[in-house]
Amino acid sequence: MTKPTYNSTADCTTKLALDLFGRVREGIANGTLSKRKVVWLELTGCSGNIISQMNAEFPDFAYLITQMVDIVYSNTLLAKEGDPAMDQLFSVLGGDFILVIEGAVAVKDDGVYTIIGRYSGQRITALNASHIFGTRASIVLAVGTCAADGGISAAFPNPTECVSVQDLLSRPVIRLPGCPCNPAWFMATLGHILLYGMPELDEFNRPRMIYGTTIHDRCPRRSYYDSGIFASRLGEETCMYMLGCRGPITLTDCPISRWNQRINWPVQDSTPCIGCAQFGFPDRMEPFIDYTVPQAGEAGAQGNQENQG
Amino acid sequence: MSQIIINPVTRISGMMEIEVTVENNLILDAKTDGLMFRGFELMLKGRPPLDAVYFTQRICGICSAAHATASSMGLESALGVTVSEQGRYLRDITHICDFLQNHIRHFYQLTVPDYVKLPDMPLFEATGRDFRMPPPVNDRIARHYFDSLAISRLGHTMMAVLGGKAPHCHGIYVGGVTKPASTQDLLALRSMARDVRAFVEEAMLPDAYAVAQYYGEYFHMGGGFGNMLSYGCFNNYPGLGTLYVDPLVWIGGAVHPLDPAGINENTATAFYREPPATYTPFETVVEADPGKPDAYSFIKAPRYLGFPCEVGPLARMWLTGEYRNGISAMDRTIARALETQKLLNIFDTLLERVIPDTNVQAEYTVPREAMDAGLVDTSRGALGHWIRIEDGVIALYQIITPSAWNLSSQTQDTMGTAEQALLGAHVADLENPVEIGRIIRSFDPCVSCATHVHTPGGQGRVWKVVP
Repeated sequence: MTKPTYNSTADCTTKLALDLFGRVREGIANGTLSKRKVVWLELTGCSGNIISQMNAEFPDFAYLITQMVDIVYSNTLLAKEGDPAMDQLFSVLGGDFILVIEGAVAVKDDGVYTIIGRYSGQRITALNASHIFGTRASIVLAVGTCAADGGISAAFPNPTECVSVQDLLSRPVIRLPGCPCNPAWFMATLGHILLYGMPELDEFNRPRMIYGTTIHDRCPRRSYYDSGIFASRLGEETCMYMLGCRGPITLTDCPISRWNQRINWPVQDSTPCIGCAQFGFPDRMEPFIDYTVPQAGEAGAQGNQENQG
Repeated sequence: MSQIIINPVTRISGMMEIEVTVENNLILDAKTDGLMFRGFELMLKGRPPLDAVYFTQRICGICSAAHATASSMGLESALGVTVSEQGRYLRDITHICDFLQNHIRHFYQLTVPDYVKLPDMPLFEATGRDFRMPPPVNDRIARHYFDSLAISRLGHTMMAVLGGKAPHCHGIYVGGVTKPASTQDLLALRSMARDVRAFVEEAMLPDAYAVAQYYGEYFHMGGGFGNMLSYGCFNNYPGLGTLYVDPLVWIGGAVHPLDPAGINENTATAFYREPPATYTPFETVVEADPGKPDAYSFIKAPRYLGFPCEVGPLARMWLTGEYRNGISAMDRTIARALETQKLLNIFDTLLERVIPDTNVQAEYTVPREAMDAGLVDTSRGALGHWIRIEDGVIALYQIITPSAWNLSSQTQDTMGTAEQALLGAHVADLENPVEIGRIIRSFDPCVSCATHVHTPGGQGRVWKVVP
């Protein structure tokens, strides 16, 4: 498996970790260790996070499902349907499993706005499932902004009273925001857990190796910002701060990981960051694109002021 | 008579329950129930109109470019923006990439496990299912399940070349796309499309026909009403004309032009407050009413001149006359595979017309008052976004998705298309009713898109249908 980078703790203990990795690999090969089980629940969301993981590369999705873990449940992918599918889901209770949740949890009217299946004849709400599996899992990962922070599902007026997984569970939940979560972020986090144990987390339980630096700090267009050269429409190759770019307040590594086999990312696409990986998305990030902000020379752009200061 | 309930219906986008009534192994009644409600139309009210392009994509993680396209088109009309020829080419090219991703994933990841025995792992366990292919054919398609992952991924990578990222792209926008396509971008798209084409022609099409060969009875199952509808796509280009399909309907055995004024929604058996029971998209966004008597679903019932219509690849291929083999579960699967190849041809034609380094963007001003609609066919079928702007913000945003057409509830007069498609189907083994899922998945349902809610413990109206 590819060794995750960007993590100081991991770097300090590389040899130990590689030894551990070797032992685990040997154990799997000779049958004394089995792969850890993963339950992937899609709650109140768009299923875009499981789709995003299918876009992973190095490791890719096939490597994830054949070499890294056993996915025991996924509404999008499971061959079984109906009762046998739910029996398989509930079979993990009592043993070790990693719970991955995408989508927020609708709590209004006892959660009737998202039903994930029927077990023993009873409809299981996303709210039920979060409690049943969230309290019993070895590790809980909230993948995507809806699971990590409520996201679009909780946008005003929050019609189904959606909350994040962490809001619901009293145990720590690892949060991987992003709309969707970039597969590089998920794979690095899961890989770190499997190979080296828990990655270093920030105060909001985001892995620092991913969410430690703002987009703005590593933006390839930073020199335009520093020089006060701003775009007035999309498609221009300069800084989009004046169009409403949320790079300065968004902690994640898009400029490094980029998207879709690293071929592009929103700023390289000449569009502003809309802060989809930052807490408060979308309500505190709108308008996403704003043509009404005064341009440099009109009312004094911040970049210019900083340079002058 | 016995009831069969399948919940979850896995391998679709979103959450669904199906309940059927069976007698003598024949399905007499069927209900399709969307089990998720998010309320996007409520959220959009009061937001900046241009934000809808990015906001509405979050309805659906598998067809995000579809919502971006419909929303951009609706806003262009409302804002009075004339999209340039180059802008249209670039946006349509990017939209096609999402079709490729959708169709390949739908066939291999969502459909194939119904017919092909996959390797022994928890994800693919399917004891007691009806697998018929001889090992060499079965194993070839099972191998392609894994090979296809790199190809459908490539569909999203192609979408990101001009879209920035996928799912939920930034590049499709009012005016076309945001990024001027460089020579490097265009060359990347050409080379990636070649890889996708090789897979579609050498694996996906033969595999679809192999499924058809061993499961031939599905050419006679899952028909529905036989009404077909499309809003048109890849059509009416100045200089190129129509490369795919114009806005058309097939009702009563003949093709007619589509008149958008004939589209309405009905809530006779859906959990929405009345009046009105029937309304046109600009009229109102109806309010949820989970306690409504005699209702059984939050899936509304879109109708065209009162007719329930099928939308999607088969509808498009049927309307253009390119595919008239029949209307059934298997015809839908074959049409989707054939359409994938056809879309690659359209992709090549459009790409040849692109002039590198053209910035199609402008600064846009949102009017105080405006209303218009973006109607376009997407991977799953006809998608409509209706937008009304008041005081410079969104006053009404109505979305009718393809899956709302295909999985609609019943009106006073008619069932939904997918419900109708289940009627009369023969279920061989009541303990293992594989036929139901196979028929439903042929529509490629996306309940995330339908954004509906279920009723807690609600009683469905029982259909009495004589087989």
